[in-house]
Amino acid sequence: MTTEKNIPLLEVRNLKKYFLPEKKFLEEQAPPVRAVDGISFTLKAGETLGLVGESGCGKSTAARTLLRLIEPTSGQVSFCGTNLFDLKETEMRSLRRKMQIIFQDPYSSVNPARRIGHILQEPFEIHGHQDKKENAEKATQLLEQVGLTPDHFNRYPHELSGGQLQRVGIARAIALNPKLVVADEPVSALDVSIQAQIINLLLDLKENLDISYLFISHDMGVIEYFCDRVAVMYLGKIVELANSEQIYNSPQHPYTTALLNAIPNLESGRIKQKTSIKGDIPNPATPLKGCAFHNRCPIKEKQCEEEIPPLKEIGPGHLVACFLK
Amino acid sequence: MSSPELDIQNLKVSFSTPRGKLTAVNGISFHLNRGETLALVGESGCGKTVSALSILRLLPEPPAEILSGKILFSGQNLLSLNAKALQDLRGRSISMIFQDPMTSLNPVLTIGEQMAETLLRHTAMNRQEALQKSADLFGRVELPSPEEKLKHYPHQLSGGMRQRVMIAMALACTPRVLIADEPTTALDVLIQAQILELLDNLKKDTGMSILIITHDLGVVAEIAQRVLVMYAGEIVESGPARALLNNPLHPYTKGLIASVPKLGTIKKTGARLEEISGNVPSLDQRPSGCAFHPRCAWAIEKCKTQKPELRQADAQRQWSCHLEPGSI
Ligand SMILES: Nc1ncnc2c1ncn2[C@@H]1O[C@H](COP(=O)(O)OP(=O)(O)OP(=O)(O)O)[C@@H](O)[C@H]1O
Ligand SMILES: Nc1ncnc2c1ncn2[C@@H]1O[C@H](COP(=O)(O)OP(=O)(O)OP(=O)(O)O)[C@@H](O)[C@H]1O
Ligand SMILES: [Mg+2]
Ligand SMILES: [Mg+2]
Repeated sequence: MTTEKNIPLLEVRNLKKYFLPEKKFLEEQAPPVRAVDGISFTLKAGETLGLVGESGCGKSTAARTLLRLIEPTSGQVSFCGTNLFDLKETEMRSLRRKMQIIFQDPYSSVNPARRIGHILQEPFEIHGHQDKKENAEKATQLLEQVGLTPDHFNRYPHELSGGQLQRVGIARAIALNPKLVVADEPVSALDVSIQAQIINLLLDLKENLDISYLFISHDMGVIEYFCDRVAVMYLGKIVELANSEQIYNSPQHPYTTALLNAIPNLESGRIKQKTSIKGDIPNPATPLKGCAFHNRCPIKEKQCEEEIPPLKEIGPGHLVACFLK
Repeated sequence: MSSPELDIQNLKVSFSTPRGKLTAVNGISFHLNRGETLALVGESGCGKTVSALSILRLLPEPPAEILSGKILFSGQNLLSLNAKALQDLRGRSISMIFQDPMTSLNPVLTIGEQMAETLLRHTAMNRQEALQKSADLFGRVELPSPEEKLKHYPHQLSGGMRQRVMIAMALACTPRVLIADEPTTALDVLIQAQILELLDNLKKDTGMSILIITHDLGVVAEIAQRVLVMYAGEIVESGPARALLNNPLHPYTKGLIASVPKLGTIKKTGARLEEISGNVPSLDQRPSGCAFHPRCAWAIEKCKTQKPELRQADAQRQWSCHLEPGSI
């Protein structure tokens, strides 16, 4: 597949995923959980886009829906110009090798009963390479590419540390030369002393293999380090989208500002400014009227309680969903 | 100087496992001053939770065994108290917030009932007074509509609210010492900031001392006056937070600080984060000599065979490394 220069690698248009809770006998149907509620963005080849937001705001659901690991409620996703939601399952399968995912918890994302070597041969087998010897050789190469050694080949997942196993997850994701890798909190479950190793590995692979990342994290520090552009999500919606510099130097949405202010700062040892954000995130099944952030927003006005602010461009490539900007 | 609230001397804890008796905490000593917030940091599995649970004798014995040590609280050695005396102490003089707020609340009781129970056990209040006091405490930790919250079950609350309930419970009897094991790890940064501010205010109001366990150095910088750094069951560095974070002496502390991406550092293309190589050693594979030597960029021959003793850098700082300060 050749990526033409002017077609974005990934284009997401008004993507929605609602979960309908199971209806209990004689009870009324509960309202749907609006996990992803109409998000749009594009990812150019070679670019890294960060997706950041609080727990439960829909980051993982967005990732899994746009890879069509779960079916969307509505919206469009095109990958190199192909609309994924029009494809049949068999067509989707052959495209999948180009779009891979790395999960947060390395232990639950591999089969505990299979040896590491086998786990790494699977992608080749699934995509029709049956030559056992060749697959084993490729698996060994992959181990080396992610900083493990051939003697990990015959080990079982429980014999590896979290960091080593996350390397296996990364090796599996890059096995078939993907164009896009979605990394869903790839370092959150790892020890602090191991996180930097994995981030460096992902950066090296990007340089060497020409991969584009959608990088999901709730850690603003990691996102800033890793990403060219950043999308900030709140309750299923993107509330701000801009390049890293804009997000970190001149955040516009009050939620983005609050996130940045709340990060404990190692250097200064003081929160930049006492957080003025009170209260909790509303339930995604019973969204607030108006702007979803208004109950916690320090600058809200009357309009914010009544209307939903649209995502609009306030400067080159800088999108914000706030009436007051 | 007044005597410390808590004084832990040479605490050593092991576990009996199928692989033999493994030492999780290998002779640590530290103290907690009155009105101070002390942070305990270190990699996963280094023994932070085991150390904290030992203070209140909350470890399952067996498999756990406290091999040696003293835990002095008001001049009393907690390790020699009987079960009844310990029970009286827990929740009243020394309280603990556990690492996992989901599992430490009873799912079938309302949070009001659970709060009141704690108060009834440790005070002379009647039920009505206990419920009233519970609502006060919920207000204190800034739970919205506290009266109503009394009737809620744990699953009806968000993670941040549950954590605030845990804090309210721990504070019910105005303890002198609060041990908080990763109190904000499961929370978002916004809620985390609220909880840290809350703990800091409560400390100032009541004069209690806090031992906070965390792996987040940002949280340390935010709330702690002093820091203990643990590695593989031992304390490898301790000192005032500011000084330790600005000028770490131990290579492990230095590596930890360097590997955290800092906000506002412009990324140069191709720039890599500084990393600590290697992996965290498991309990049955603790390296000889200095336990950190296989991962240490500065290790010399001596580090492989000889265990460095804790030494005094100045009146308030200690570290254990064979190398001279300034050479790393
Ligand atoms: N299979 C499901 N059925 C019902 N609700 C779901 C399902 N999966 C996710 N949700 C809900 O959708 C919302 C978004 O969840 P999601 O896992 O995408 O959040 P997230 O941003 O990845 O959070 P985290 O940072 O905790 O991983 C949450 O309210 C969650 O409870
Ligand atoms: N009941 C037990 N039986 C056997 N080993 C145990 C038991 N509880 C803890 N350990 C071991 O003791 C060591 C120290 O564990 P501890 O829970 O104190 O780590 P920690 O520093 O709190 O780590 P984390 O940051 O992951 O919470 C670990 O290696 C752990 O596996
Ligand atoms: Mg997620
Ligand atoms: Mg612990």
